[in-house]
Amino acid sequence: MILLEYANRIIIETLRERFSNPITTSLNIADFDGVGYRLSTPESKTLLVVSMRMPCFGELLQYGAMDVLRREYGSMLEATPEPGFEVTLKVDIEKVPQDYSDREALIRKIALLKRNALAAPFEQAFDAQIDGRETPLMAIHYRDTEVFYVKAGTDRVTVIFSTEFKEEQDRILGKVFLQEFVDARRLPQIQNAPQVLYTNRDPPLELRGQPGLKDSENIGYVTFVLFPRHFSKEKREDTISKIQLFRDYLHYHIKCSKSYMHSRMRARVAEFLKVLNRAKPEPVNVEKKTIAGKTFKRS
Amino acid sequence: MSGVYPPPVVIDNGTGYTKLGYAGNNDPQYIIPTAIAVKPSQNVATKRGIDDLDFYIGDDAFANAKSYDLQYPVKHGQVDNWDLMEKFHQACIFEYMRCEPEDHYFLMTEPPLNAPENREYTAEIMFESFGIKGLYIAVQAVLALAASWADKNVKEQTLTGTVIDAGDGVTHVIPVAEGFVVGSSIKHIPIAGRDITYFVQQLLRDREPQIPPEQALETAKAIKEAYSYVCPDIVKEFRRYETEADKFIKSYEGKHSVTGKPFNVDVGYERFLGPEIFFNPEIYSSDFLTPLPEVVDTVIQSCPIDTRRGLYKNIVLSGGSTMFKDFGRRLQRDIKKSVDQRTKTAEELAARRLGGAQVRAAEVDVNVISHKKQRYAVWFGGSLLASTGDFPSYCHSKQDYEEYGPSIARYNRVFGSIL
Repeated sequence: MILLEYANRIIIETLRERFSNPITTSLNIADFDGVGYRLSTPESKTLLVVSMRMPCFGELLQYGAMDVLRREYGSMLEATPEPGFEVTLKVDIEKVPQDYSDREALIRKIALLKRNALAAPFEQAFDAQIDGRETPLMAIHYRDTEVFYVKAGTDRVTVIFSTEFKEEQDRILGKVFLQEFVDARRLPQIQNAPQVLYTNRDPPLELRGQPGLKDSENIGYVTFVLFPRHFSKEKREDTISKIQLFRDYLHYHIKCSKSYMHSRMRARVAEFLKVLNRAKPEPVNVEKKTIAGKTFKRS
Repeated sequence: MSGVYPPPVVIDNGTGYTKLGYAGNNDPQYIIPTAIAVKPSQNVATKRGIDDLDFYIGDDAFANAKSYDLQYPVKHGQVDNWDLMEKFHQACIFEYMRCEPEDHYFLMTEPPLNAPENREYTAEIMFESFGIKGLYIAVQAVLALAASWADKNVKEQTLTGTVIDAGDGVTHVIPVAEGFVVGSSIKHIPIAGRDITYFVQQLLRDREPQIPPEQALETAKAIKEAYSYVCPDIVKEFRRYETEADKFIKSYEGKHSVTGKPFNVDVGYERFLGPEIFFNPEIYSSDFLTPLPEVVDTVIQSCPIDTRRGLYKNIVLSGGSTMFKDFGRRLQRDIKKSVDQRTKTAEELAARRLGGAQVRAAEVDVNVISHKKQRYAVWFGGSLLASTGDFPSYCHSKQDYEEYGPSIARYNRVFGSIL
């Protein structure tokens, strides 16, 4: 598994089960980036309510998240969300399509709730760029200390992630990873990939003068430069899904490489232990023979 | 839901199945086989590229068993291969639970009498690789006790009781007094779910030749899970089957995996004979002959005398192999019988010594508690514990880990003190 899945697996599996066998549900789960979901059946067993809480939803609303959600979920979307949550969907299990592929599509759509909410600023920027407009810098504080920015320019869309590493080790690994991103682009087969720039500590030019930028060794900025070919009609959805999971993807791979290193270390220790076990201390005070046949004792 | 946000993650790694989920829920979100399918063995040092990400866990591991190497990282309740376990956790966290481990607290479980080194390894993996916020390692038996509180019939919430944990591979009888496991009295019984399946398979093989041999095991397992129950008396049960055969004998429809042809199996005596091997092991095995109620009785008798009443009063079942209908009732009856017998002998002895005076001992309460969450009682207990508001303060935090190192995991804060 190199890429992370975009949809929430718990929601997919729960919905699959509930659609075929509706029972009373009360489920509280979490997702990446502080997102939480609640699946419940407050009124009747066949009326499933899916609510999502998202720390940065207030900002997303400004960038048109409601329009995206309304387009995706239509009548399922409740006007007033459950208290404590930002988005609420209501699914009537009795009206779920019977056809297998339609049903799977609906399940997947619901499981992509977080992705669709986060898609709003990207869609706005892409649309603006295609129309040749510029947008102001849109900041989304998607985690407590981390922010991503989207901005449409005259010929490009720039996406900037600020990422903070809690651990020294992670920071170094992260740096290696991100520099690799920059270098990997030189390979002929991925010439068309978006340009990636990485800076440590210093915010890139686009962000200069933004309020609330932290000055710390642990902060890194990753800039993606997307040209119209990256958000053409057929690629657009995929680009949005991939880019918004970038931070989780990065941290996931840092953790994977750490566990890979651990397995190398364990293998090495096992190897050393074998050597140690083979070694036997020389017996002391044993008579030894010289080549001439004389014997002697070393004290 | 009261408690911590984001919700802590509760992971119970068993020999057969891993139970995974967010705290505060009633059921684990995943119950997956503790299996991992990796690329056929290569030297770690010569691996290149992203081979280390090419693996599957759980049900996907079985689906890919043809082109990969299927391995079980947990054996007899203990972690056997830490490399694989680390990968298993990696997939659990990122693929299944979808959480950023740096934001969550984790509750993991360990078998009773786990070596402290294993606890250290677990802490090392969770803190060093994943950088989790905090870790609590709980003993499975104690969590199973806590899980029984959810049952309506349990009036007082005590941490004293005997846990009978029958999973797939082995059955444990674990006495717990005030949240402490009485280590010297734990007994293991080599009869568990898998043995019942083998026994049923053996019975079927003699009688039902139409079952395709390669499907014999799964057929036996399906029959065990769907039709088995515990009878009060085998002799009477046999007679009932003879007189009213059509009422008791069920039939099972199977389907041949290759040809797709359906086949039909009559399910008869194995319905009650399967679980009977707990109570009369001589019908199955020739080297282990002590019935389960007797083991439970011996275990409790070997515990400190002041805890015994509490242990008899609260016998808690946990694990999938205790799910058979009337299992608890039969166990309670058999234990009660031997306890009453003992009380009677004691009364007679005392009466003789006192020269014929009437002596009455206070009756010993025997209670076997069956409840709805039995199948994943350990996970449910963990979920209850981790959803309390002050759970984070009982965890080993990342700061502690960085300050003192993995040895902090050797010290296990007493579960009882937080309640």
